[in-house]
Amino acid sequence: MDQHQHHSQLFKVGNAQVSRFEDMRLITGNGKYSSDWNAPDQLHACFLRSDRAHARIVSINFDKLRQIKGVVGVYTGADAQAAGYLRAPSFLPPTGKGGMKARVPARPCLAIGKVRFVGDPVAMVVADSHLAAQDACELIEVVYEDLPAIVDPEEALKPGAPQLHDDVPGNCPVEAESGVEAPVMEAIAKAAHVTKITVDCTRVTASPMEPRAALIEYKADTDSYVVHTPSQGVNMTRKQFSTYANLGEEKFRVEIQDVGGGFGQRSTVYPEYVSMMMAAKALQRPIKWVSTRTESFLTDTHGRANLITITLAMDNNAQFTGMRVDWITDQGAYLSPTGPAGHIRNATTCMNGVYKIPALYGHFKVVLTNTGWVAAYRGAGRPDIAYAIERAVDAAALELNMDPADLRRRNYVPLNEYPYKSATGSTIEIADLPGLSEKALTLADWSGFEARRAASAKKGKLRGIGMSAVIEPTGAGTAPRDEIELTVNGDGQVTLHTVSHSQGQGHETSFAMVTASALGIPVEQIKVKQGDAERSVTMTGNHSGGSRTMVGAGTVCHIAANKLIDAGKSLAAEDLSVEPSQVNYAKGEFSSPHSKKKITLAQLAAKKKLSVIGEGTFTSTYPNGCHIAEVEVDPETGVTDIASYLSVDDYGHIVSHTIVEGQMHGAVVQGLGQVFGEHIVYDKDSGQMITGSFMDYVMPRAGKLKSIRMEEYTTLSKLGPLGIKGMGESGCTASLPALVGAVSNALGVRHLDMPLTPSKVWAAIQQKKSHLGNTH
Amino acid sequence: MHSFSYVKATSVKQAVDLLAANAEAKLLSGGMTLIPTMKARLAQPSHLIDIAGIAELSGIEVKDGKLTIGAATKHVEVSRSAVVKKAIPALAYLAGHIGDPQVRNRGTIGGSLANNDPAADYPSAALSLGATIVTNKREIAADDYFQGMFATALDAGEMIVKIVFPVPAKAAYEKFPHPASGYAMAGAFVSQHGKTVRVAITGAGPGVFRWTEAEAALGKKLAAASVESLNVDASNLNEDMHGTKEYRANLAKVMTKRAVAKLGK
Repeated sequence: MDQHQHHSQLFKVGNAQVSRFEDMRLITGNGKYSSDWNAPDQLHACFLRSDRAHARIVSINFDKLRQIKGVVGVYTGADAQAAGYLRAPSFLPPTGKGGMKARVPARPCLAIGKVRFVGDPVAMVVADSHLAAQDACELIEVVYEDLPAIVDPEEALKPGAPQLHDDVPGNCPVEAESGVEAPVMEAIAKAAHVTKITVDCTRVTASPMEPRAALIEYKADTDSYVVHTPSQGVNMTRKQFSTYANLGEEKFRVEIQDVGGGFGQRSTVYPEYVSMMMAAKALQRPIKWVSTRTESFLTDTHGRANLITITLAMDNNAQFTGMRVDWITDQGAYLSPTGPAGHIRNATTCMNGVYKIPALYGHFKVVLTNTGWVAAYRGAGRPDIAYAIERAVDAAALELNMDPADLRRRNYVPLNEYPYKSATGSTIEIADLPGLSEKALTLADWSGFEARRAASAKKGKLRGIGMSAVIEPTGAGTAPRDEIELTVNGDGQVTLHTVSHSQGQGHETSFAMVTASALGIPVEQIKVKQGDAERSVTMTGNHSGGSRTMVGAGTVCHIAANKLIDAGKSLAAEDLSVEPSQVNYAKGEFSSPHSKKKITLAQLAAKKKLSVIGEGTFTSTYPNGCHIAEVEVDPETGVTDIASYLSVDDYGHIVSHTIVEGQMHGAVVQGLGQVFGEHIVYDKDSGQMITGSFMDYVMPRAGKLKSIRMEEYTTLSKLGPLGIKGMGESGCTASLPALVGAVSNALGVRHLDMPLTPSKVWAAIQQKKSHLGNTH
Repeated sequence: MHSFSYVKATSVKQAVDLLAANAEAKLLSGGMTLIPTMKARLAQPSHLIDIAGIAELSGIEVKDGKLTIGAATKHVEVSRSAVVKKAIPALAYLAGHIGDPQVRNRGTIGGSLANNDPAADYPSAALSLGATIVTNKREIAADDYFQGMFATALDAGEMIVKIVFPVPAKAAYEKFPHPASGYAMAGAFVSQHGKTVRVAITGAGPGVFRWTEAEAALGKKLAAASVESLNVDASNLNEDMHGTKEYRANLAKVMTKRAVAKLGK
């Protein structure tokens, strides 16, 4: 508790409220996004996409394209075959249950022989204008032989279901396990009470403001490519290009500036980009493509799409004794780079949630369906497992007629048991849920809820309350290390280079704050640069995903600044006529009490090259929190109003409150979007997407959540010198169960699957009414 | 978008002549439906005849108990017009709740009525108020004008010039916006003219319709309680992932009740 009280005095970083430096550029239309990159002699690509969910390609006829002026090239699966661009990068656990070998289906960059979802690219036309390419695409004649389509993941696993890939029998690339089954089954057999619940963590799409786009240039002299495309990190993008195209990573340079939203959806090298490489090389001209919003709905990776069953065993003190998780993860028609492995890994790491559960077993079935592919989506399995556990805990409380806060209290891992070793083998560093949740319950006046419910009832409204207590692993990366390059210029300005790309997170501000604090100089003196083409090849670092960037690259800013001071001391020693060990540094100035001389950073850099690369490697941090929502439901229309929303979170040390608050607002509302409306739906028979535009895909509106009361309860991570925990996704993890819990509570039902649209809520009210009518 | 020719018309006659001369031409008013359809390459007109600047199509005036609004009048103009607010405040309210500010700054009353989207707001006002749709050829009563989903009494080559609304004693509009699109999932426009009450429902069915049972009940007693025991016939209503027929029937009733409750204020 002491560190909770005093942490703000431990660090000088981050006490000031700094506005984000990048915002003026971004909100005045001066950002440079992928479609803003142009080359003078560029050509334009357009993709002909499958208009059916599952079909054999019988023939493709291009004869009519001669009518269109300006068409330069046409590419199909035959070209993909010739180029060898046949396997999108993807990661699966290599062996599954009982030594089962994982089966990764091919994903050629243009369909070969078969299409497997509506939107699957069949052909690419390249023309001297975007319009000509579009017109030409409409004149391509494809003869298909339709095959039965399967869009339901449970149906797809059944014997006799239509098969998507010859080399993936049963549509199941792998069945994976975590934990140990026998002790869990024993706990269930011996339990005083068992709660079983299945929740649908629905399929959604990220809908970033910036559509997918690319400009791909071929450099004949080095037989290499320069790529401009929305990316969450240039190293990751280069690696995936390398895998997809069977070329060395050194053959790809990535040059980008601003990215208008990532959410996991920009962590994939898509088949379109690799198709464009073929044309860029063959035609020796840069190729440009900008996706339409329709293409975004159909072909950008979707998120979540997990059907999760929890079986939770309890003893007669309502203490959890074991939990089984049966998880069906729908991956769509192909496996994406951040789809199956990440979901299984993240769900396994925090399978116990915030609770002491001595026995854990997870059984994951990865399944393919005739739908768009699925990848990471703000949390990538963490919100899904937390949602399932928290809904199970609420259901258990209802069944046991217990206060859900009390049931949680009985089961939290206490502070003194951290680092906590979970039954799935994780070591969870630090959290204090008993303390944190009491703060939340007090602030939310949990015990006074019944009076508020009665007041709402007087207005004809159904009031409900829901809480969530969650934790998740964040920060660990896939790159060997994070690097930050700092260079002092002759004018004293410090240029910071990173390959951890911002998609809106505000690195230009937070990185500058950490660096300026360590160097003791004004924050305006730090200029943060990302997306530099040369450094995309020479520097190493993680992409921005998994809430990792402040834990990794952000912390390395501090490490690099200290390295810069040490390097400066060595260089300054000569000017100060002393040994390096006799040089002091403070506030942008080197001095020595021995020689009574001093030299500023600027003066030193004007004379000598002052540049360092700092580095660090980090594992996971564990942000955690308790969110409490209250809702009022209008029984006449089924509309839910959010009456209050409280978040109490442990973010570790906060560098910028502005940015943390912004991330929290965005993440809570992204969760709210899934809870109340967002849902990608396919027609069961035809496999056509029903929600292919914003006319049917329900985005959350700003007015839905009028305010969030944000409070902190801090334990520091000792993983790095700054005590930071990665928090960019945790709001999403906490808001799903809190809001669904609140609505379920308002209606007096055990559980209602997302999305909680007015019509679904109204129908649930009617059903409950008629049920009551029948039993009375 | 496919390529097309753009013509800015200066008179109704010129616009109609151009329409007659080009079989694939379309009139462009606010373009709030036409332009997105063209961008999706679902419409491919040869010509767009822009009628937004035609003087004969503008103007708002009230005379002899009738409010007349030019076809090219934008939603924002109707919503802010002191004349409309005084004569039929419910109509100004309705116009101020169409789409979003961008739509209201471009979309027009004539465009909305000519398109007759089953979830548009204006058709409910025109039908409830018993408006007259005045075209370049004739006058059409609202009861004859609306003919189901995107269908109207307009002939090919016929265009709306103005809309004449009888000023009611009282009127109110309530709508339930579609959670994704913001269009009416159900909207109820209730108006009282002497002893007659007219209730028009938009959004819930394949086209705007009058709820005659509610009209009769409200004609006897103008109170929300009068419709409590009634139900909109769900069998002909729309059904999709956003709501069942029964849900839409319920919304139509709830919106009617709320509109009636507003009348009293």
